[in-house]
Amino acid sequence: MSNTNTHDDGWSVGDVRLGSRFLLGTAKYPSGEALAQAIAASGAEVLTVGLKRQLAVGDKDGSVDVIRAAVQERGLRLLPNTAGCTTVHEAVQLSHMARELYGTSWIKLEVIGDPYTLQPDPTGTVEAAAQLVRDGFTVFPYCTEDLVTCRRLLDAGCPLLMPWGAPIGSGQGLVNPFALRVLREQLPDVVLIVDAGIRAPSDAARVMEMGFDAVLLNSAVSQSPDPVRMATAFAQAIEAGRGAWQAGLMQQHLRAVGSTPATDDPLLQARAS
Amino acid sequence: MSTPDGSTGCLRVRVGEQEHELPPGSSVADVVQRMGQAPDAVSTAVNGQFVARTARAGHLLADGDQVLLFQPIVGG
Repeated sequence: MSNTNTHDDGWSVGDVRLGSRFLLGTAKYPSGEALAQAIAASGAEVLTVGLKRQLAVGDKDGSVDVIRAAVQERGLRLLPNTAGCTTVHEAVQLSHMARELYGTSWIKLEVIGDPYTLQPDPTGTVEAAAQLVRDGFTVFPYCTEDLVTCRRLLDAGCPLLMPWGAPIGSGQGLVNPFALRVLREQLPDVVLIVDAGIRAPSDAARVMEMGFDAVLLNSAVSQSPDPVRMATAFAQAIEAGRGAWQAGLMQQHLRAVGSTPATDDPLLQARAS
Repeated sequence: MSTPDGSTGCLRVRVGEQEHELPPGSSVADVVQRMGQAPDAVSTAVNGQFVARTARAGHLLADGDQVLLFQPIVGG
């Protein structure tokens, strides 16, 4: 499959046009400075953020200020999440608080159904998405690769889908590439962003080669010994994968197909049968 | 301050995990101020329900209420 290469290879969420297909998480960096440099190296235009109940003085390393500066200076957009929510009520309440705190109606919806896998609760996510759409949010639903649930999220009004590659922070890469390919094939006109579980730039490249629209990741960069260099590597991989999808991969064959246009008998000698 | 029936007349309100005694008629806005927070630096919930910034001054607290303050943080 290939796609026509257009001058503007951007993508849209509602009326917001984005150029970068790399969405970057902001958690677990070794320092605020490392976060700032990784953001710059990634070229990401969308950063995920969170909110939490105050327990003590927060933002000890200035990371939130780093994020605010990036938004201000580079016009980046914030995508708050509802991390930690396990019920529809919690996710909806947190979403409203996030909108007030961050001044955006974008919300990365997480309704977690299992503490071991941090797997999205499919029914809770659909119910919360429907309510948030009614409340005027643009819902980026974190979901599994289950096609039926994905269709229900779209019916609930989600403008896009964010299926996992693997459990959050696991670094398992793409656990079910078959199911991801099915999603891409069955939902050809839907913006699809793989979110979670990515480990290597090759994972991100593979996602983009499948025709996905973008990749969202955090730990793969922040937990690298060199987050800044890794952010650059991911940016390059995402661009490479996108280019490969646009170019179109070669056909696969079971048997060998020689590349060099040589004759069958280069020395003109009969070969033993 | 005690009333004739021996009660203190104060509201016992939990802010996060800490109990505070507040004057009767205290609002969510009062709590935010009491905690030394700028109004736009936090978001608030009372008993698990979001209370918008514009509604804080008019949201009067009752004895036993729990107020939660939320702040921006990094996230994935």
